[in-house]
Amino acid sequence: MEKIMAPFADFGEEVVRAENLRKTFTLSRKQQRLDKTGQTHKIAVAGLSFSAYRGEIYGLLGPNGAGKTTTLRILSTLIRPDAGDAFVCGHSVSREAQKVRDQIGFMTSELKLEGFFTPAYLFDFFGALHGVEKETLAKRRKELFERFGIDRFAEVRIKDLSTGMLQKVSLVISIVHDPAVVIFDEPTNGLDVLTAKVVTDFLLELKAMGKSILLSTHIFSLVEKLCDRVGIIIDGRMAADGTLESVCAGSTLEDKFFEIYHAVKGETI
Amino acid sequence: MKLLALMKKEFTRFFRDPRLIVSMILPGILIYIIYSVMGTAMTSEPAAYHFNVYVSGESAVVQTIEQTVELNEGWTVTFEQTDDADAARAEVETGEATALIVFSEGFDDMIGLAPRASIIPAAELVYNSEDSAISAFAAIADAVLDAYGRSFVLTTTDYAQSENFAAQMMAGILPFLIVVFVFSSCMSVTLESVAGEKERGTLATILVTSARRWDIALGKVLPLACVSLIGAASSFLGVALSMPALMGVSIDVAIGGIGFVDYLMLFLLIFSFVPLIVAAIAAVSTLSRSVKEASGYTSVIMILMMVLSIVTAFVDGIGGWVVAVPVLNAVSAMQGVLMGNMVVWQCIVSFALNIVYAGVLVFLIARMLSSERIMFGK
Ligand SMILES: Nc1ncnc2c1ncn2[C@@H]1O[C@H](COP(=O)(O)OP(=O)(O)OP(=O)(O)O)[C@@H](O)[C@H]1O
Ligand SMILES: [Mg+2]
Repeated sequence: MEKIMAPFADFGEEVVRAENLRKTFTLSRKQQRLDKTGQTHKIAVAGLSFSAYRGEIYGLLGPNGAGKTTTLRILSTLIRPDAGDAFVCGHSVSREAQKVRDQIGFMTSELKLEGFFTPAYLFDFFGALHGVEKETLAKRRKELFERFGIDRFAEVRIKDLSTGMLQKVSLVISIVHDPAVVIFDEPTNGLDVLTAKVVTDFLLELKAMGKSILLSTHIFSLVEKLCDRVGIIIDGRMAADGTLESVCAGSTLEDKFFEIYHAVKGETI
Repeated sequence: MKLLALMKKEFTRFFRDPRLIVSMILPGILIYIIYSVMGTAMTSEPAAYHFNVYVSGESAVVQTIEQTVELNEGWTVTFEQTDDADAARAEVETGEATALIVFSEGFDDMIGLAPRASIIPAAELVYNSEDSAISAFAAIADAVLDAYGRSFVLTTTDYAQSENFAAQMMAGILPFLIVVFVFSSCMSVTLESVAGEKERGTLATILVTSARRWDIALGKVLPLACVSLIGAASSFLGVALSMPALMGVSIDVAIGGIGFVDYLMLFLLIFSFVPLIVAAIAAVSTLSRSVKEASGYTSVIMILMMVLSIVTAFVDGIGGWVVAVPVLNAVSAMQGVLMGNMVVWQCIVSFALNIVYAGVLVFLIARMLSSERIMFGK
């Protein structure tokens, strides 16, 4: 297992690098009506660049509609950028999507597990889809299931699991192939305090295992609790980026965020 | 390897769910029940029936015919020797007499000598099949004569104006029903597995793995087609078993009329459009946002296909171009087989084309899976 890296200075290997990412969506009539705009296009990400480093937790912090989910979906190769590129462990998301998928575990509420199957079955299934060897897979399953207390529920159908257990199972399955980078959209969104703690503990555990983590959130305390680095994203642009200390520069993250937000938007809330 | 895992998952999903298995097997049972009941109703001969048959010339085979017919309870035959064949023909044509059987001179003796003899013995069977009982008699007489010896010429003359309407209806509707039943069993598994997985977000989970899109598409269509084939086989068995009832004859006569090759062709044709229908529903499901949307589109396809198969059944002399139309080609070919005029090249070309079309659709599905607008568009 790799050593935990010091979460301060600009060192360590660059595992994720986004370069000037852009993504524009064409809005359907219905969306235009919902958004109350006459615009036919929506710029979700407008030239975003940042880097995340090995063994660290990087947090993308931003308000609703800032473009966090879009950015993470580009990084996990679910959607393609219109311009710019991003690299995960040196592989381009637009040209080497397959290789990128082998390096990442992507967690988001939009990715679901089939309720009919059991955690053990799905662990093996997704392991096979990632091309993990049978013996390695069995060993990993035993290890991870024990570590996160899933072993007793290994043969219970997904649809019969409690929310907290389901979260754990989803998390464990997303790292079945031992990815170098874990990408996580809104890790604690919609979870009660207990389940949320399951998730944050899991992330810290992953970090202890030497994984690099990229998450998005709009919750200040989550960033303060977990992240080594933070990028504040507003209207698809990076408004501030750096280690937690350097971004906060002495004040609290919340104060700093609103300071930056006013500077960018030029308005008060 | 990844393809295998994907396929195994589909099979596991199916075979551990009794509800799905029942939905596959039910269509065949339904066909069997409907057709046995309908067949018996439509071709029901009066329980008791007396046949009066003219015979010109002599042969011992007449006794065999009599015995065979009278095996059916309530059926009796009298044979009347006649010299005036033309008068007898007229009576048969109007339906006053059941049939006329003409044997050439010294028929039984000549059969022993043929084919060395200079004159080949001949027999003629004359009847009018517009009456379903007479049609049944003719089928029996024909079969018995056929079995009597190979070395004579048998001519049959049927005075029926049209082919038996009931039989034609059956042959026309049967392939249509097979398509409808096969379609609905394909629909029940495919919609759930493809549109359902897309709607519930479990397909997206598979898309973030490093499995190739082609494998994912094939990993859906192949197992679903196999599973739907169970449904197809069940429908096929339903048809095969109800065939005798349909034709209003006993089982050996039915099997004698529809040979092994015909059954094989029927099965091959069904085998060819199952993957095609599954791939088509899977493609539509991939395009749709929800099961509801997908089943809407699929119903439209189904109705279109139903209308077209009915049209194919009752439009005479449909052109050879029909062989290029997916599924319809098989419907048309199956009708040919059931009416007893199978066109072998039509069957084989239909089979091959349907498999090719299915492959093209799988390719398209793989493309759709990589399209972010289709998979993740809002
Ligand atoms: N598929 C899509 N089609 C059209 N517009 C989209 C699509 N996806 C995102 N958008 C728009 O792009 C903008 C950025 O969306 P995104 O989901 O990335 O924001 P977010 O930062 O994740 O916000 P939230 O905190 O609400 O999750 C929003 O205005 C959203 O409406
Ligand atoms: Mg979001």
